[in-house]
Amino acid sequence: MSAIRFDSLVKQYGKQAAVNNLSATIQAGRITGFLGPNGAGKSTSLRCLVGLAKPTSGSAKILDRDYRELENPLTQVGTVLDSRGFHPSLSGRKNLQIVAASAGISDSRVDEVLELVELTQAAKKRMKNYSLGMKQRLSLAGAILGNPQILILDEPANGLDPAGIAWLRKFLRAMADQGKTILVSSHQLAEMQNTVDDVIIINRGQLIASGSIKDVIGEGTLEDAFLRLTEGAN
Amino acid sequence: MLALVKSEWRKLLFVRANWGLLIAATFISALSVAVAPFILDAGEAGALLGLGIDQTAAIDATYANGISGYIFAIILGIMMMAGEFRHGTAVATFLTAPRRGIVLTAKLAVAAIGGLLMMLISTGISLIAGYVVLLGFEDAAQPSENLFVNTMIAAAISGAVLGVIGVAIGTLIRNQMLAIVGALVYLFVVDPLLLALWPDTGQFLPSGLITAMLSIDISAPELGFDTTDYLPALTATLVLLGYGAVFAFIAIATSLRRDID
Ligand SMILES: Nc1ncnc2c1ncn2[C@@H]1O[C@H](COP(=O)(O)OP(=O)(O)OP(=O)(O)O)[C@@H](O)[C@H]1O
Ligand SMILES: [Mg+2]
Repeated sequence: MSAIRFDSLVKQYGKQAAVNNLSATIQAGRITGFLGPNGAGKSTSLRCLVGLAKPTSGSAKILDRDYRELENPLTQVGTVLDSRGFHPSLSGRKNLQIVAASAGISDSRVDEVLELVELTQAAKKRMKNYSLGMKQRLSLAGAILGNPQILILDEPANGLDPAGIAWLRKFLRAMADQGKTILVSSHQLAEMQNTVDDVIIINRGQLIASGSIKDVIGEGTLEDAFLRLTEGAN
Repeated sequence: MLALVKSEWRKLLFVRANWGLLIAATFISALSVAVAPFILDAGEAGALLGLGIDQTAAIDATYANGISGYIFAIILGIMMMAGEFRHGTAVATFLTAPRRGIVLTAKLAVAAIGGLLMMLISTGISLIAGYVVLLGFEDAAQPSENLFVNTMIAAAISGAVLGVIGVAIGTLIRNQMLAIVGALVYLFVVDPLLLALWPDTGQFLPSGLITAMLSIDISAPELGFDTTDYLPALTATLVLLGYGAVFAFIAIATSLRRDID
């Protein structure tokens, strides 16, 4: 069953097409890596998917619906984007309490997710004083606040130290073991190779390859395949 | 909807800058009430207006300064909306509630409550400050009968309306600094200029409307400013709300449709 579907998605900024006719499906209950060089259009595709950017044409749907049509979306989809939606001068806890209130989620759940991402110690610290990795954990805490079945993560490993990356790996595994669908973009190919079930590779807004990681890699490593595929397209 | 109102309410209370606005509004209005008797008593200014501290009109005018914090109600509204774009919290806000019109409605409601409370507090404290200061003037006259009640009503209504207008401005102009500076420049420079150039239309311009609204039942020509040409308070309030509605409508139809990054 497909959880997420991009259908001929086009997003144009001026003359430049950031996403150019992207069609792809993400299977439910699997981890899908969303890969591509800098500027390939990953973040843009994900923004269209969650309704923050309006597609120029085509569509990006979750559970066959526009994000905007989802009932209380936080309980169905958790999102981490490259821009974090948190107020710098509020504590991590208060930031999450604001989000929780609007989704009808209790404050005790806020403390629960802070514990899950190991931020309890820093919960009362202002967000602007967080390290990069702590901010990333806070974003992840926000994504799982509503205990959603689908996670959309744009470079969640960004800024994490080795211990943080190991932690994130465990975190994603645990989420996957609960049967969640995860769409995760990353540049850490070695890490992705060990984590994901499927991959989607795009370059210059266009789909280059998609399928199970085994099929896409063939011989060698994910990095080999990635470089071969993205170079060939240039 | 109730959940969104609760969330907006939390934003209002959690963000310290909002408390700063409340303090600033209280300080400015209390100060302007507290110094007025001294200016009147100094003779020259009072004589210029033909008013002395022993006249009811002068005392009324003194207390009327208690609503001077209204500009902070607009700034509060602007910051509630434009601040979301400034700090990027708009992303979290609209991920949680992707139907933007409903979010805006909740925000407008909370801005109205916030502006109302801000004005009630700052005006209330100012009236008390004025009362205390006037105790020191033995020949001070009594204020007119319903002055305190009418001033508080004017404060409440103006606070709510201006909070709403602030949000509408912040939706249209996402740059918080630009929105605030723009609102101030408009109110204190452009609007008076238009008023000077075309006096007849003045009563329909925001400043004229705000003044008219603030002067609910406490305006009197002998106070030195002639508000006889202004619209009745209720009409002014409605016209101003009309402006707010038009702004909010334009905002929903244009700015709120734009991408959020
Ligand atoms: N708001 C915008 N206005 C104009 N151009 C944009 C905007 N957002 C993205 N772009 C352009 O769209 C293209 C795709 O950007 P996008 O952020 O989606 O890439 P990405 O795959 O996420 O890259 P990275 O790996 O560096 O995060 C880039 O050329 C970028 O400059
Ligand atoms: Mg990106």
